[in-house]
Amino acid sequence: MILNYSSLDWKLIGAALGLSLIGVMLIMSAQHHADSIYKQEYYLRQLLWLAFALIAFATVVHLPLKLFDFSAYLLYGLAIVLLLLVLVVGTPRMGAYRWFSFGPINFSPSDFAKIAVLCAVARFLAYTKLPVVNIRRLAISAPIVLLPAMLILKQPDLGTSLVFFVMLFALWFWSGLSPTYLILILSPMVSLITASHWLAWSIYIGVLLAFLFYLRLGMLFGIYTVVANLAFGAITPFLWGRLADYQKLRILTFLDPGRDPRGAGYQIIQSKIAIGSGGIFGKGLFHGSQTRLDFLPERHTDFIFSVLGEEFGLIGAMVVLFLFAVIFYRAVRIAARCRSRFASLIVMGAASIIMFQFLVNIGMTLGFMPVTGLPLPFVSYGGTSMVLFWSLIGLIVSADYRWQDY
Amino acid sequence: MDRFKLTLAGREKLSYVTLAAVFLVLFGGLVRLQIVSHAELAVQSENNRIRVQPVFPRRGVVTDREGRVIIENRPSYTVSVVPAEEIAGVTLPELSLLLGLDTTEIRRRICKNTVSRYQPASVKRDIPFEMVAILEEQSDRFPGVTYHMEQVRRFNHDLGGESFTGYVGEVSEEDMKRTDQVEYYLGSTIGKKGLEKQYDFLLRGREGTAYIEVSAAGHILGPYQEKPPVPSIPGANLMLTIDNDLQTACTQALDTFCCGAVVAIDPRNGELLAMTSWPGFDANIFSSVIPEDLWEEIRSDSTHPLLNRPLNGLYPPASTTKLVAIGGGLEEGIITPNSVFKPCLGGMQFGNRYFRCWQSRGHGTTTAAHAIEQSCDVYLYQLGLKLGVDGLSKYYGLCGFGSITELDLPNESPGLNPNSEYYDKRYGVNQWTRALAMNNSIGQGELLATPLQVAQFFCGLANDGVVYQPHIVKKIIQPFGEETVLAPKVSFRLPFSEETLDVLMEGLRLVVEGEHGTARHLRNDLYSIGGKTGTAENPHGENHSWFVGMAPLDRPEIVVCAIIENAGHGSDVAAPMVGQVIRAYMEKKLGLNQIAATETEAGE
Repeated sequence: MILNYSSLDWKLIGAALGLSLIGVMLIMSAQHHADSIYKQEYYLRQLLWLAFALIAFATVVHLPLKLFDFSAYLLYGLAIVLLLLVLVVGTPRMGAYRWFSFGPINFSPSDFAKIAVLCAVARFLAYTKLPVVNIRRLAISAPIVLLPAMLILKQPDLGTSLVFFVMLFALWFWSGLSPTYLILILSPMVSLITASHWLAWSIYIGVLLAFLFYLRLGMLFGIYTVVANLAFGAITPFLWGRLADYQKLRILTFLDPGRDPRGAGYQIIQSKIAIGSGGIFGKGLFHGSQTRLDFLPERHTDFIFSVLGEEFGLIGAMVVLFLFAVIFYRAVRIAARCRSRFASLIVMGAASIIMFQFLVNIGMTLGFMPVTGLPLPFVSYGGTSMVLFWSLIGLIVSADYRWQDY
Repeated sequence: MDRFKLTLAGREKLSYVTLAAVFLVLFGGLVRLQIVSHAELAVQSENNRIRVQPVFPRRGVVTDREGRVIIENRPSYTVSVVPAEEIAGVTLPELSLLLGLDTTEIRRRICKNTVSRYQPASVKRDIPFEMVAILEEQSDRFPGVTYHMEQVRRFNHDLGGESFTGYVGEVSEEDMKRTDQVEYYLGSTIGKKGLEKQYDFLLRGREGTAYIEVSAAGHILGPYQEKPPVPSIPGANLMLTIDNDLQTACTQALDTFCCGAVVAIDPRNGELLAMTSWPGFDANIFSSVIPEDLWEEIRSDSTHPLLNRPLNGLYPPASTTKLVAIGGGLEEGIITPNSVFKPCLGGMQFGNRYFRCWQSRGHGTTTAAHAIEQSCDVYLYQLGLKLGVDGLSKYYGLCGFGSITELDLPNESPGLNPNSEYYDKRYGVNQWTRALAMNNSIGQGELLATPLQVAQFFCGLANDGVVYQPHIVKKIIQPFGEETVLAPKVSFRLPFSEETLDVLMEGLRLVVEGEHGTARHLRNDLYSIGGKTGTAENPHGENHSWFVGMAPLDRPEIVVCAIIENAGHGSDVAAPMVGQVIRAYMEKKLGLNQIAATETEAGE
């Protein structure tokens, strides 16, 4: 299919491409002083991944968006099968079953699942006849997300499973559910946290009940809210006991990075030192001592933003934030003008996936989000995530190009 | 139900607001780290990668008065293993073969000393140089094995000078409490005893600092370019007043005895010429790691080699301090140079007790000088009763007993100079008799003195009553050549007039030259000797043998004080020994040839 290429959203594409190239440069710096030549080739491989990702992007743009609409549930089924399969025959790495290994290539099905689930939820919400504020509408769309999320949690990968929930909430919101309801749906989470102290929890439940009474939201929704809050309050101690040690440690370390500076808190502390020592102008490419001398952990993947902060300072970080802002701003604009509900939801969902990983990753490097292992979109080293994010860009660009289609 | 529903425009607007909030938070986070905390985090980032390493200075060398070595430094090699570079099945067996340690022991030491996989973990300290040569030549045999050199102290053990050299060791927790010097930290070297302790601050020099860049794993990448190293300043060298020849003579003279001490001082200036505590120990063992069993052996040795007898050995000075009482009697007008007491018939009755003279056949009537010559106890008993406990105590005190000499060495003992206050406390008021004064007058009883104090007192006698403070450091030579000569210092004057001193000196002369002198056998044709014998009663065994000699008598240049524990009469044991030391001094002074020639003449 031949497209009118000048009508593509080049600002959006340019921003994503800019981020990808900055990523390649940072990976080069991150491994510049590494011992083995093998490690130094990371940036070349990232360039190769970028080429693959651009092919995926071009393919998605050229395919009609309808194709994703029609095949949404098929894709979803395939994703579930892959997620089940990875738990059985996946290659364990660092105690987690997240990857299929084909020779040198590692394929993570949860990245594919992000697109598949996005399509499935968008398709359901786009065509359902149920009213927006309807417990059945919510009750049917939630399991579409819950199933893959649980399978990913089983890998275990808490961060990625959270991506699915955030996407679901973004789509509920974009399909018209008021933020008031979203807050109330999320309220059991507050119960989960406050339940650690009985007084805090009592006050919170009191405020919640008053709020519900004042808003008069309807019987079913009110009952859900109250029951869910009480239930979450009751299971908190139990849930804490069920968490794996590394998960507890991550949460505790997030709350107080100084408690174990050599262990789990080490990464956060070193990342903050790296970014902070960069100052306004940074130490210059290849001159970040935290990066160069191995103090920064996982620096070509999870902590790539710390390399940026150290070597290019506040100015470099602002450039990257600006490019992300361009992507999000364009995405919201496109979602708002698409005539097709499906396309509009796809754009919003894709943007929410990118946005959540962006926020959690940078928040982690700055020390106010826990260490989750979510890579920074476009910038972090990694093949599947690169292909995924360029495919999401492909969906957004495609929706924009065909905005008038119903 | 739809009253909360947002229009499309409303949802779009809310999305922008959410976006703005997210970016604001991230921007705030960046500003907090990169602007607000930048300075602090930049320092932390520097600290991360720069390791400060001490550069140890050369510790000062100590020589005798003629520049001959007493304490110097020698290289000591420590062999280590870098865990990351070790090859299983090769490194340990080969190292085991070389060091003669079994592999499990080597493994245990590596594990104990491992800081990082990339830093050497020490396996054995102070390996012989031959092993270092093997490591260097056959380095392929020992993958991951390194060695480094450090300077350790070498003491000239043949001199037997441990009583003044002391030794060095690692800074301990107590040392940390004792000193406020920042340069001392756990594990660094510090003087523990003797000179090494007293002059530690001069000898140690100043530590320098090297800044080294390291990776997170501890890989040393080389010197940090932006911060030049601070060089160390070597310690000052010390030139002592000790004469190695005389020191050797003292130690050799003691060699045949079990325990004892010798102190030799130049009375004209207080310079300590030689000092030996016997038995000694090898101070070198403290420079390296001291094996547990060896340490235990030294500590539990019944001859107490670690006791510094010249400074801390407390003995009754016995007859050597009879001169204090006689001097006091002359000064107080109780006696005159020619006055006499009741004759000595081998002892005297006091109350219900009979006080013996050492000479059971008695000395008859003696004047002061002859009482010294023959060491007549009965003369002293009668004098002591007249002076009383406090009179004696006053003169003992004025002659330096009961207080330290302030020799420039640490931990000197003051001894004990009892007075009536002391006895009141010890026995109760009116619970003791004047008979104690009789004991004190002959240097027995509770009176306790160190060999150094006795030597100091005789230095005063030899030097017209002027006592120079004993000292051991003659000259401090700073690393850049600046020299400080320590001038002799007058410590105090003996409380005796010239006339009194003449009588006392006459007594000392008679001890050697008199008809009945207790050290007649020391008389010789080459130089005149004076001195005083002493026999300290020892309730635990054989008497301690004292002798203090000086020569040449007309203008004494050397005072030698010796005590031999459990050896019997002063005249039999200590006197010949001191004679030997004085002879060594005089031989050196006059020149060997002259003495040999005279002896040949005498022989013919």
